Amino acid sequence: MNILEANNITKNYAVHKALDDVSISIPKQSIFGLLGPNGAGKTTLIRIINQIIMADEGEIFINGERLQPKHIGVIGYLPEERGLYKKMKVGEQLMYLAELKGLSNSEARKRIKHWLDRMGLTEWAGKKVEDLSKGMAQKIQFIATVLHEPDLLILDEPFSGFDPVNANLIKDEIFELRDKGATVIFSTHRMESVEQLCDHIALINKSQKILDGPKKEIKDSFKLHKYSVSYKGDLVGLSSNFSASETKEEDGLNHSIIQANGQSPNEVLQELISKVEVHSFIEEVPSVNDIFIQIVEGEK
Amino acid sequence: MNQIFLVLKREYLTRVKKKTFLLATILTPLIFPAIILTIVYFATREKESRSEELLVLDQSGLFTDAFDITSYDFQFIEGELEAAKQEMTDRGAFGLLYIPKMEVNDPEKINYAGFELYTKTNASVSAINRMESSIRSRLESIKLQNSGLEKEVIDNLRVRVSLDSFNLSETGEAKKSNSELSFAIGYGTGFLIYMFIFIYGSQIMQSVLDEKTSRIVEVIVSSVRPFNLMMGKVLGVGAVGFTQLLIWFVLIGTLSTAGLSIMAGGGSEAIMDAASQQMPAEAMQAMEPTQQQAMVAEIQEMIASIPVVKILACFLFFFLGAYFLYGALYAAIGSAVDSIQDAQQFMFPIILPILAAIMSMFFVLDDPNGGLAVTMSMIPFTSPIIMMARIPFGVPDWQLALSMVLLVAGFVGTIWVAGRVYRVGILMYGAKVNWKTIGKWFTMKV
Repeated sequence: MNILEANNITKNYAVHKALDDVSISIPKQSIFGLLGPNGAGKTTLIRIINQIIMADEGEIFINGERLQPKHIGVIGYLPEERGLYKKMKVGEQLMYLAELKGLSNSEARKRIKHWLDRMGLTEWAGKKVEDLSKGMAQKIQFIATVLHEPDLLILDEPFSGFDPVNANLIKDEIFELRDKGATVIFSTHRMESVEQLCDHIALINKSQKILDGPKKEIKDSFKLHKYSVSYKGDLVGLSSNFSASETKEEDGLNHSIIQANGQSPNEVLQELISKVEVHSFIEEVPSVNDIFIQIVEGEK
Repeated sequence: MNQIFLVLKREYLTRVKKKTFLLATILTPLIFPAIILTIVYFATREKESRSEELLVLDQSGLFTDAFDITSYDFQFIEGELEAAKQEMTDRGAFGLLYIPKMEVNDPEKINYAGFELYTKTNASVSAINRMESSIRSRLESIKLQNSGLEKEVIDNLRVRVSLDSFNLSETGEAKKSNSELSFAIGYGTGFLIYMFIFIYGSQIMQSVLDEKTSRIVEVIVSSVRPFNLMMGKVLGVGAVGFTQLLIWFVLIGTLSTAGLSIMAGGGSEAIMDAASQQMPAEAMQAMEPTQQQAMVAEIQEMIASIPVVKILACFLFFFLGAYFLYGALYAAIGSAVDSIQDAQQFMFPIILPILAAIMSMFFVLDDPNGGLAVTMSMIPFTSPIIMMARIPFGVPDWQLALSMVLLVAGFVGTIWVAGRVYRVGILMYGAKVNWKTIGKWFTMKV
């Protein structure tokens, strides 16, 4: 079951095409990485999902229903350009944002208390936002995004500006929300967090979707059948299916990169064991970062 | 609708809860009279205390004691004009008034010339006027005496006239009209609208700009449609203005009613003294206590003669109309720019019609049914101010209705235009904005 289906979305601005026939499907309870370089069209797509702007062509379905104004209550959006009313008190501000999402006053009050407690910010509820540190303000923004318990969380560069401790805290919250049933769209160009968090990814470059799918499958499809091996002995007489390169010696062990030709890891290992004493054997899987750079560079 | 209300509530409460709002609301009705009183006080005091020397060289010998003017210390000297000029410089006097010899026994002669005033710096217009009138009245009384008429006869020749004007309605009902009061009400209400557009228009702009610069706007528009956000803002800030206005009306109403009843009691001399400054001393002296009460009664009758309900209703309508029309435009400007400085270039075309209205108000008040007045009271950009100036003088119903319809069409139009610019502008950061880009945003599909 997909929580969100975007079909053939096209969006033109005066001088350029921001999105060109982009379709994505986001499975329920996934953490979906929306990747792409700056200016690729990520924010445009997110704004269309949030009904801030309208697509020129294409349709979006949320839980099988065509996107409509009532869905703003289903979505929680943390934009990249984000802020708070500086002169407003933390509690009042959260209440305002929750009510705008359709929460009742009493329900909002309960949840605000719960979340401020959870983030250790209870005593700041009566303070103005301008008195908060940057990190605290960002936690408040996160709370505002999740207060109405959205089924679909859209986080645009959520970790920018967070210190590592707070970034981890937010990461844990994201996992927990996912475990409770939320789906997260996670837009970024910082690949290390994608590697950790996402189970599905889509890559947008120059207004077009280049690839999408489960992270594992994408990484597999980019596998180069390279294995990093350390061993004792001399690797000679390998079959013509394999080639060793970058051989070097370190601490009495030899290290090589074995390039296979489509054989399974077991076949590679069997071949190696017959020749040398294998100490370690790791398949070199490309990182999302490698894939990203490879595609974006290749497009140029 | 609920969204608009939530935005409205926030805009309203954050403003009304501020201490500055409370202060401005309560103090403004007190500050204006205080400022005026202070100015009057200092102006009169200064006149009394300042007694610069003014030399008078009176060769006719007729004007001793003729100058009952407190602004200057009149010192009579003798001699020739050239010597007197030298003396003025030597003594450091402010000026020298030269009065030549003249013939006063010829009943046919009415033109007297040859008076000369020498001063270091320009004498004030009022001082010159008063000197002229002092000279004239002295000459007049000399001539009257020479004519042989008795003083009593002369006094009885001076009559006083007051013209009561009435507005005759179609039903034949005559209502006492009062042009001065109409003028005051027309000017006052028109000016109030003008002031509110400026003050609250720029508050809307500031509020839009704040959301943009604090970067919260994208979070907000993911929950609220931009148009609803804009309308909530315009309505919320408007409600603040309305609250303030209401408090002012109540305060001023209470204060002036209290003031009038004190006057009606005939008790407070201080108030009568204040009133006497506006009136020729002669008239005041002639007034008996019963006449004071009569005057108060007349004021009350004048107020009763004004169609208060109609004026209030029209004021409400035109005030709101003007506010929506300009408020939306201010919101659009706020959305388009990144800082107040950038906003300046877009302000001018918006301020222009308001300024045109306020500047032509005197002509309109002078001729409330003239071509200029009628035209400007139809154009939605100027009609609120100009129509309010006309209403106390009486405006044909069809003109009022047409003006109202046009104003509604006008503000619906500007809100629509502003909404289109706003929805794009609020998400644009660091864009180089000019009229062309705003035009582009207006036509842009979002």
